[in-house]
Amino acid sequence: MSDLAKEKAARLLKKRGSLSSLGSHEVRAKEAFAKTKDSISTVSYMEEPGHHDDIPRPAVQMENTYQLSPTQRFPVLTVKDILKDVLTSYLQEEKYEPELCRQMTKTISEVIKARVKDLMIPRYKIIVIISIGQIRDQNMRMGSRCLWDETHDNFSSHTFKNSSLFATATVYGVYFE
Amino acid sequence: MDDDQSAEETAFVVDEVSSIVKESLEAVIGRNPYEQKRVNQWVSSVVEQCLGQLSKLSKPFKYIVTCIIMQKNGAGLQSASSCFWDNTTDGSCTVRWENKHLYCIVSVFGLAI
Repeated sequence: MSDLAKEKAARLLKKRGSLSSLGSHEVRAKEAFAKTKDSISTVSYMEEPGHHDDIPRPAVQMENTYQLSPTQRFPVLTVKDILKDVLTSYLQEEKYEPELCRQMTKTISEVIKARVKDLMIPRYKIIVIISIGQIRDQNMRMGSRCLWDETHDNFSSHTFKNSSLFATATVYGVYFE
Repeated sequence: MDDDQSAEETAFVVDEVSSIVKESLEAVIGRNPYEQKRVNQWVSSVVEQCLGQLSKLSKPFKYIVTCIIMQKNGAGLQSASSCFWDNTTDGSCTVRWENKHLYCIVSVFGLAI
């Protein structure tokens, strides 16, 4: 019985096409100088590449809903409360350690995504970005700009700080037309 | 034939996007050292340039571009993202770029309309 249920759940997931794609990046503290090149760049993809090639799925044809705008908007303040809650509960007493924080970023982003999904806002795609950094007298700037529909799409973000680390969480909600 | 063409045009092409990002980073920051007064303007220019180039591609996508610029001071930074979307049509691309004095991480998320 449980196998059948599992199969059904797997099929449903495939149909809906939602996959948790985790991209995590780390900037390691470099003591040595970059001798040869003046600038280095690396490109990263999502953590599960080649997924498209494995399962050749036919393009899903959506029926017309004749719905122009969302019934329910992206709840900015509710999401901000979620972010505040999750960040303080996970990071209140933590110190910055590379391994721990690497795991922490992945865990926190999954947790936030799950909680925002629980709000069940229909037809909204969710993107969660977490950055945890060490405080060491350095200066840093984060910025973002989006090309989307002003009336339907929105974002919410929160920053948490303690004595040894800081964390920034941003959630973007984009309406799927 | 038509289906293949439309599939190519409406997919998120990582290589194209990453080259756009690298070009705008080189153009805006290049070899400059980290200057607190100018970094605000750099972030805005990098992001605006990327967005401008991306919109010129004329693909049916909504874009989110984020940029983090950090001074090289021995501190560490971890970053992760988690997305709830349609894996067949949407994609993301992250470019880590550095020069002698600063680190820069630019992420582009493309969501199909």
